[in-house]
Amino acid sequence: MIPLVAVVSLRGRESRTLRIWVPLILLWLVIVPLAALFSPLIFVGCLACRIDPFGAFSVGWQILRALNDTEVEIEHRSAGISICVF
Amino acid sequence: MNEHRRQILQMLSEGKISADEAERLISALEERPSGSSQQDVSDSGTKARPKYLRVQVDSEDDGHEGPTKVNVRVPMQLLRAGVKLAGLIPPQALHRANVAIHEKGIPFDLSQIKPENLEELIDQLSDLSVDVDQKDHATKVKVKVFCE
Repeated sequence: MIPLVAVVSLRGRESRTLRIWVPLILLWLVIVPLAALFSPLIFVGCLACRIDPFGAFSVGWQILRALNDTEVEIEHRSAGISICVF
Repeated sequence: MNEHRRQILQMLSEGKISADEAERLISALEERPSGSSQQDVSDSGTKARPKYLRVQVDSEDDGHEGPTKVNVRVPMQLLRAGVKLAGLIPPQALHRANVAIHEKGIPFDLSQIKPENLEELIDQLSDLSVDVDQKDHATKVKVKVFCE
């Protein structure tokens, strides 16, 4: 399952937390038709760079699927940012 | 298994062990597979494979910078996909990347990362736990890398 939502939390110096829910599914809905449109160009580009286009597609898909449950949190002083992908 | 048998036969040919001892050792080897497979099953039953690689950094600064905390959780699946991605990189690009890495003083060869060795690498990572504590006069940094 590809990630559908990303939650970005921003914490400012006033300890106020801004939580943004990013619906990644909308992003995929935009990217997929574009990728399909440009797939011949991507295919030729892969061949020109001596990269197996099918292998690249397969690995790209695996990376997309593996992004689920990725979490990055950085806090410095009282400010911080957190990104969680579901 | 063949390797062990060969070693026993070599020891026999060198006269280090007698024929009786060699026979006993070989028969002991033949009895092992059932026992070792049971052990593997019990090991896999009790030891769950890790799902995430976690990196935690705590930095405490007595100066003006203040404390910094970093907490990263990377799914193992992402590592697997990353290694497969490295396998797609053309040899010329790998060579250039290796040269750049060596120039930074890091003795690491990217071409040695192969998808065939992936599961072994992941298995080894499951036992990984790295703790680094650094204390300067004003800074205290604690880095923890582990699998969960």
